[in-house]
Amino acid sequence: MTMDYSDATAPTPPPKSVPVKPVSDPMPPRQAKTLPNLTPQIATAAPATTAAAKLVVKCEVRDLRFYYKQFEALKGINLTLHDKRVTAFIGPSGCGKSTLLRVLNRIYELYPDQRAKGEVLVDGRNILDPGQDLNLLRAKIGMVFQKPTPFPMSIYDNVAFGIRLYETLRSRELDERVEEALQRAALWNEVKDKLRQSGLSLSGGQQQRLCIARAIAVKPEILLLDEPASALDPISTQRIEELIAELKSDYCIVIVTHNMQQAARSSDYTAFMYLGSLIEFDETEAIFTHPSQKQTEDYITGRFG
Amino acid sequence: MASEHIIKSYDEELRRLDNTITQMGGLAESQLATAIDAVVRRDSLLATRAVEGDVEIDELDREVETLVVRLLALRQPLARDLRQIVASLKISADLERIGDYAANVAKRSLALALTPPVRPVHAIPRMGSFCQHMVKDILDAYVARDADRAMSVWLRDEELDEMYTSLFRELLTYMIEDPRNITACTHLLFMAKNLERVGDLTTNIGETIYFFVHGVPLTQMRPKRDRTSMQTEPGGEDDHTEEL
Repeated sequence: MTMDYSDATAPTPPPKSVPVKPVSDPMPPRQAKTLPNLTPQIATAAPATTAAAKLVVKCEVRDLRFYYKQFEALKGINLTLHDKRVTAFIGPSGCGKSTLLRVLNRIYELYPDQRAKGEVLVDGRNILDPGQDLNLLRAKIGMVFQKPTPFPMSIYDNVAFGIRLYETLRSRELDERVEEALQRAALWNEVKDKLRQSGLSLSGGQQQRLCIARAIAVKPEILLLDEPASALDPISTQRIEELIAELKSDYCIVIVTHNMQQAARSSDYTAFMYLGSLIEFDETEAIFTHPSQKQTEDYITGRFG
Repeated sequence: MASEHIIKSYDEELRRLDNTITQMGGLAESQLATAIDAVVRRDSLLATRAVEGDVEIDELDREVETLVVRLLALRQPLARDLRQIVASLKISADLERIGDYAANVAKRSLALALTPPVRPVHAIPRMGSFCQHMVKDILDAYVARDADRAMSVWLRDEELDEMYTSLFRELLTYMIEDPRNITACTHLLFMAKNLERVGDLTTNIGETIYFFVHGVPLTQMRPKRDRTSMQTEPGGEDDHTEEL
């Protein structure tokens, strides 16, 4: 009822070039009552956040089966690992998560009666191919174990060990590489004055970081961490997690952990495995706030019978 | 609950949280009933009881807060458990506000009882019992973890908004008719607004339940019928408000 009023008092009509703003109706026509969409739309497709455009597939696992003698420990795993992202494998003991990790650098070859079927494509090449050079593979795909495994030699030699295996460097260059690896592993400041001491003289947390330094010294592309912090105190654990966050900018990292909070804190993607199968794979945030599979939910909330 | 946690005390704590919420809901509902009764019967004793009863809801709200902080700190809840705990905290805050609004209605009934009765007062018990049922049903939906039921309550708020809008117009008419009605009508207006807000809070709880059950927030807009913010003068057939 006041609409004409403003027009009547306007001193001049608005110039024609000014676009006329359509008068919006503050009271939209009555809508039919409808029930809201009751089926929530949970994204089931591949996770799409964290700048999907920049995601680079580093490793693709296709219908992977693994056998300990007759026992099928992995029952057809399909999984994609992205470069410069952290993927966590979680699941109860015996679910196959460590087995899967062990396949990724073929460390299982050290044992008889263990074999893998299917494909593991790293940069498009199947590493399960019999022609694959295992030494090259393990230089490309580094691994750190649950228990720190420093070699019984000096801190310096521990880190230089792998480099000497694959490259011939002059001593000054070698020094630089050792320092760089120790820096990246956030250990340099603690050991720079005692590089000639035994690696075994370090504390558990330091030993683990030494192992990470040794693994990254050979400039791998994928870093496999099997329960890297399970034997460490909370401070050392946080150092390792901080280290993972930093190393992520250069590597594709896979971490196996029993510590749910650790997976939640340090990974971008989480894979939940159970009885040799991959039950659910999604962005970590989705897995820990609204997993789509009941088994996943039961496991992470502590309801597994 | 679908299945039990391996750690039994965790289940017990979650159950205690649930029970506290249910208890708060029951109290909020009866507070509303008492407040409305006080308005209808012009009973100052009932009104005082409704005002004092609010303390109890506030106490339970603090209890929920303590429980939630404790659960978050000690259990590191995830997924459904995490959603339940977050939902409890939100629902508790909404119920606490509902209790406040009931107390407000009761307080105003004391002042209203001192003025001569006006006819529109009849709308208050109608709105009040409508609210009360919404609160009851939303709590039932919470206990049953039933998002569909929560959504049907969520939709009912539209009707409450309509009641409020029409009461608003009616009250304006009365006030224009005779300025001596203004005191009583103003109190009634605030009461009606309080009840309308109770409806809104109930829909909040409905949305929280939806999130708790489905794990994703409800994104759809709720239809709203409270048009009083655009209301000017009431009129008969040439009421222009529809054109504003």
